[in-house]
Parts: sequence; structure tokens; C-alpha cells
Amino acid sequence: MKQVVVHPERCLGCMQCMVACAVAHSRSGRLYTALTEKPRPRPRIHVGAGLYQEGFPNRCRHCDPAPCQLACLAGAIFRHRETGTVFIDPDKCINCASCAMACPYGVIRFHEDPAAPPGKTVAVKCDNCDRRRAQGLVPACVEVCKSGALTYEEMDAAMGRKTAEVARSMSAGAEAAVSAPAIDLLMAVKKARLAL
Amino acid sequence: MATFENVSITDDAALLLDKAHKDRVETVWDRHDAQQPQCGYCETGLSCRICIMGPCRIDPFGEGPQRGVCGADADIIVARNLCRMIAAGAASHSDHGRDLVEVLAAVAEGKAPGYRIRDEAKLKAVAAEYGLETEGKDTLALAGELADAMMEDYGMRRKCLTLVARAPEKRRQLWEKIGIIPRGIDRETSEMLHRTHMGVDNGWQSLLLQAMRNALSDGWGGSMIATEVSDILFGVPQPHPTTVNAGVLKKDQVNIVVHGHNPVVSEMILRACRSEQMLALAKEKGAAGINLAGVCCTGNELLMRHGIPMAGNHLMTELILSTGAVDMMLVDYQCIMPSLGAIAGCYHTLMISTSDKARFPNMEHCEFHPDNAENLARDLVARAVENFARRKQVYIPVEAVKAVGGFSVEAVVGALGGSPEPLAEAIKAGKIRGAVGIVGCNNPKIKHDYGHVTLTRRLIENDILVVDTGCVSVATAKAGLKVPEAIEMAGPGLKEICGALGIPPVLHLGSCVDNVRILVLASALANALGVDICDLPLAGAAPEWYSEKAATIGTYFVASGVFTVLGPMPPVTGSANVVGLLTEGLKDVVGATFAVEPDPEKAAVLIRRHIEEKRKALGIPALEI
Repeated sequence: MKQVVVHPERCLGCMQCMVACAVAHSRSGRLYTALTEKPRPRPRIHVGAGLYQEGFPNRCRHCDPAPCQLACLAGAIFRHRETGTVFIDPDKCINCASCAMACPYGVIRFHEDPAAPPGKTVAVKCDNCDRRRAQGLVPACVEVCKSGALTYEEMDAAMGRKTAEVARSMSAGAEAAVSAPAIDLLMAVKKARLAL
Repeated sequence: MATFENVSITDDAALLLDKAHKDRVETVWDRHDAQQPQCGYCETGLSCRICIMGPCRIDPFGEGPQRGVCGADADIIVARNLCRMIAAGAASHSDHGRDLVEVLAAVAEGKAPGYRIRDEAKLKAVAAEYGLETEGKDTLALAGELADAMMEDYGMRRKCLTLVARAPEKRRQLWEKIGIIPRGIDRETSEMLHRTHMGVDNGWQSLLLQAMRNALSDGWGGSMIATEVSDILFGVPQPHPTTVNAGVLKKDQVNIVVHGHNPVVSEMILRACRSEQMLALAKEKGAAGINLAGVCCTGNELLMRHGIPMAGNHLMTELILSTGAVDMMLVDYQCIMPSLGAIAGCYHTLMISTSDKARFPNMEHCEFHPDNAENLARDLVARAVENFARRKQVYIPVEAVKAVGGFSVEAVVGALGGSPEPLAEAIKAGKIRGAVGIVGCNNPKIKHDYGHVTLTRRLIENDILVVDTGCVSVATAKAGLKVPEAIEMAGPGLKEICGALGIPPVLHLGSCVDNVRILVLASALANALGVDICDLPLAGAAPEWYSEKAATIGTYFVASGVFTVLGPMPPVTGSANVVGLLTEGLKDVVGATFAVEPDPEKAAVLIRRHIEEKRKALGIPALEI
């Protein structure tokens, strides 16, 4: 089963994933019309700033066991057996925020949502783009990420690739696994600036 | 939220930021925090919004797209973006110059009451450079002819801008050889925008050559015209004592603050503030007087010519309002944060926008034109006086610091006894190692004024004369570096020379268009020594730059042969080729390069090393750094 894998060292902080996520979860699914919808569609992936103001795409890990699911007294949080995706049922959610308190990553938000009963504030988080995947599409955040910070791949393949990268970087005289002169130079200047 | 300890080295910024937070005023630092992380494609220059086959971006890690839809690679995209930045900067300064030429023309036609030719000698001198017959000619007629001749510089009828003749001959020959003699001020900007359109110039080197020609069209054209015409209309600056920081605001007086760049509005406001009628009105309303202060470069223009105090630089413009002591702020254009109107709404401050080119939310728009400026200025000052009574709590947390400003090239040469020779001699003897122009803005990415003040201190300690403009000049004045007594902070040689002349070791050359005074001074020095500008022990620095105008200034410095160190990184790291050209390759093209160094301590070392290398090449005593 393919999953979204996050490679934070590749994030450029452009926040395209946030825009794409919000659009993917809008009624219309289109950027220009989504902007005028009510409730306004919101992202379920959140880009934060690191110590050096580098981007970090923060999204639900679909933990197993999921602390949010264990904390949900209303029984609104459940796992889809085949995909492993953790879902929140907006009809059952009672907006108590127990899940958000339990979530180690802070990726659960509370707001109105097109999928929830009108006017009801519910817990909202990443659903692994199940609607898009049913159409044979990759998750929206992965589709727009051009720097490879978000990939959609078999976990085994992703881990194998990582092992190979790490192994190569351990060879004598090897360069870092991820190297891009443009980013290295920019980050060096940023770090020097922030160290002042 | 920005904390007041870590955003600025100045007390007034720290205290006023604290006050602003208590007043729930959002500042530039809060918004900068909210913008983090900033987009890496844009920071590396790898995003392109030029056409709508795009927008496109290049993956700097090499796996994603490596070409835009049109086929442009990283080099082309980075170069085009930088070129457009430089074009916008040139357009801004040069359009400011155009406004002054229009006032000059209106004065000549008798259609600008309140404005006049303040310096006939300068008018004649500049007119002579334009090849106009000056003898026995009526002043206004000559002003009209000069305005016409300058307008021609903006167009496409010349092969070379008139004031380029001020550059040393070797420099002009070099520009001729590599094909970057600026031909028309608007023409070069227009051609730059044309070349960066999809499918025109796709040579990153030729694009950057045109960017240099475009920057030169500003430095030796539009900006130079702005400075010269300002001198003609409002007087050639001479040294004046003044005061700086938020403490220049007065509790018992009507405080009017001018913000922006063009002296066309601020000079009229100053006239009105000094009129008997307005002073009587102020007294009637219970104020002890009318206190006009500046922020940003229009303040520098008034400081240079009249010793008007400066309340602060770019990052102080919001905080000044949170004193609650500003009865009216008038803005024209450039560097005016659109947040100001809303901030003023938290206090009693009246916000007035004055330029037909620049509108702002939550400001009242009162348009100044040459024909109505005198009357409108009087009406607005009267309203500021009326507003004095509406003041609530006032918080002016610091005492003003003394400074001296007003060093035009004429004043500097005058102080030297009428010729740049003594400066050249002091440099040859090694008493002064060299000179550095520190220019540019503030940027919330750098601790406010830290870059400016630290670099300036390190340079004067090492016997390097510093001339500054714009936001830098306010920073160093606030740090107490702009009084004759500041020679105590200078090295022994610089102390001796400045002490003998009675001048500070850091000279205030004016606003950001006045960077051209540095070009003129460098040319005079080059001619005095019989060399090109790039042979001189000179450097430029922009430790806290943020604006497109600063990118253009840096480019005309480098294209004129001045090694220039930038603090913040421009958006070019996406192309190793462009970085290589800017930091190394240009040496073989124009004899000078850029360097990027955010740490002012290290920038000072880079600059000292450069200066000593230049000294060595000139065959005068040099040190190993």
C-alpha cells in the first residue's frame, strides 16, 4: 500500500501543499471557485518554520495505535482496514478536542467543513486524499510538491531508498545525501544571519 | 511575536515596540514572523511568474522540473528575475527624478508658486554640463532649457546620457567597449522589461549586462538628475547640526512627520511650518511651536538642506506613530508601509497621502502638484495644528542624539579647501586607508541598525572614512557617530584628518538618490589620482538592504567599479552561474564584484582586505589583512 512520505530536508517552504490540500477538500475541487466557497476550505497539512526558518510540512502520520482514536470518547475516529488511514466521522464528532490534546504532532484542527453538517464545527485532519485516490490520483500535497519533500510510495521501497542513500553517504569522502548548491548556499547565509 | 530585546540595537525601537505591543499594534516584525517559512523557490530566484504558460519553478534538488514551460533553465529564470528587480529599482528612483524635472519646468513657466531657483550657481554649472549657453541668460529661461534638456535624457534621442561625462574617461571607455553606455533613462528600463519577456533575451550573461546598463541609467541618469535638480530648487546642502531618534518629537509642540522620498512635498510643508501665520495658530491652540521631523529619505532631504531632525529610518516608521505624539504624517512615495494608515487609526494621527502615484489604505488623499503645493501645504499644516488638541497619552521614551548632516560633494570639497587633492594625499600617505559608502535600507531579517552601526564602527576604527546615505545615515547618527567628537572612535589617522577639518568620521551624504554623490566623489578622487574608479581603495556596502532600489544602487556601484558587499542574500542562489558572475566573473568585465556577508564583523574584514589590495596595486603603503 502506497503512503505519503515526508522528506523534511527537501521542503522549500513554498506552502503549495497547503493550497492544494485546501482545494482538494473543497466542494468544487478547483482553486478559483474554492476561494469563494463557504465554509472556506482549509488545509489539513501545515507548513511550519524550523529554527533556521526552513519549511517543515506537518501532516497526520496515521499512527497505529492512534492516540487520537484512543482518546475519542464519541467513537468518531476510526481506521480504514485496507489503507490504514485514520478518519474522523464529522457526524459523530462532538468537537471536544480530546483528539487534539492526544495528538503528538498537533495536526488536528477544528472548523466547519464541507463534509460536516452545515454550521457544525468538527475535528478535521488529513484523510490521505481518499476521494482522489479512489479516482486513481495521488494525494494532492504530493502532486504539487516539486522539490520531492512529499512523495507517495510503497513504504518498503521508500525505506530501501533511504537505506541506500544513507549507505552511500557513509562512504569515505561522500557528500551529504541531500545536496543542492542553491539551497546549501541560501541556508548557509540564513544560518549566518540568524546566528547574529 | 517579535520581542523587543532581539529586534533592534536602538533603545527607542525596543521601548516603542513594547509600547506598540501593549497598544495591540501589529508591526513589520510580527508580519515577518507570520511569513515564515518564506518560499524557497522565490528565495533562490527559481520561481517565474513572467508568463501564463507558467507560473513555473525549478527544483533545486534536481529531481523535479529543471526547465520552465518555455524551456528557460535556472540560469535564465534567476537572471530574468534579478533583471526585473533592477529595472523596478531604476524606474523608481528615476521617476522620482522626473518629478523634480517637472517642477523645474513649472518654475520656469511661472506655474509653481512657492518653488524657486534656490541655487543659481548650481543651475548654471549643470546647464553648462548639458551644453547650454548660460552667460547673460535669464535664470528662469535657463531653468526651462535645462528641464527640456534633462527630459531628453529620459527619452531615446541620445546615444549617451549627458551626466555620464562625469565618470572618469577610463570608465567611460570600458562601458563603451562592453556596450553598456546608458542611452536613455526610460529606454534602458523599457528595454530591460522587453528583454525579460518570454522568448527575447535568453542569454543570462547578456541579460545581466543590460541590467548593468539599466542600473547605470539610474545612477548616472535619473538619480543623478534627482539630486542635481533638488540642489537647484532647494539649495546645495551644507553641513548643519541636527538631532535624531524618536526623542526629536516634542511633547509641547505640534509634531508633523514627513515620510517618503521626494523633497517636492516636504520642502513646501517646511515652508508652511515656518510661516508666521501657522506659528501664531499653533500658539493660539496651546502649542509651543511646530516641530517638523522626518522619517525615511524625504527627511534626509530636509536634514541635508535645513538640519530638520530625523525621527527614524525604515523600521522605525511604524513605531514612531506609537508614540501617540505625531499630529500628522504626510507621505509621498517609496518604502511607505501600507500598514501605516491602520496604525495611525489607533492614535489621533492624521495620515495624508500626497502623490498622484501612491495611494494607501486608511489615509486621506490630498494631491500635491506644483501649482497647488504652497496653498495645500499651508492648509494641511493648519489641520495638523488643530489636531494637536486631540492628542491623548504621549510616550517619547528617549532623548534626541546630536548629529551633523549636509555633506554634499560641494561641501566635502569645500571642507578640503576646494579640491579633492588633500583627501587623495591622505589616502596616499595611509592616514586614511580608503573610503566606503554604506547605503541602503533596514530589513527585519537583520537586527535593526546592527549591520549599519557595527560595520561603520569597524571601518572607522581602521582609518577608513565612511560616507552614508538613506537609512544607514540615521542608524549611525543615532549611534553617535556623526558628531565631530566621534573621531575618538576612529583610528589615529582618520582622527587626525577629520579632527583637523572639524568633521565627523562618518559623513551624511543624503537620501538614497544621493548615492550619486558618492559616484561623483569617487570620480573626482579617481581623476585626482589619474586612475579608474575600480583602482581606488573604495568599497560599497548595503548591510540591511531590502528594496529593489537598493538592488539597482548596488548594481550601479559595481558597474561603476566599486566592490560592494550585501548583507541579505539577493534571490540568485538558484543559479551557480549567476552567483559566479556576480561574485567573481564581473571582475573581468567591470573591475568590481558583489560579495554577500550578513555578519558585519566579517564584512568589515572583507572590505579592509579589498582596500589594502587596491592600495597595494596602486603602489602605496598597504597592510596584510
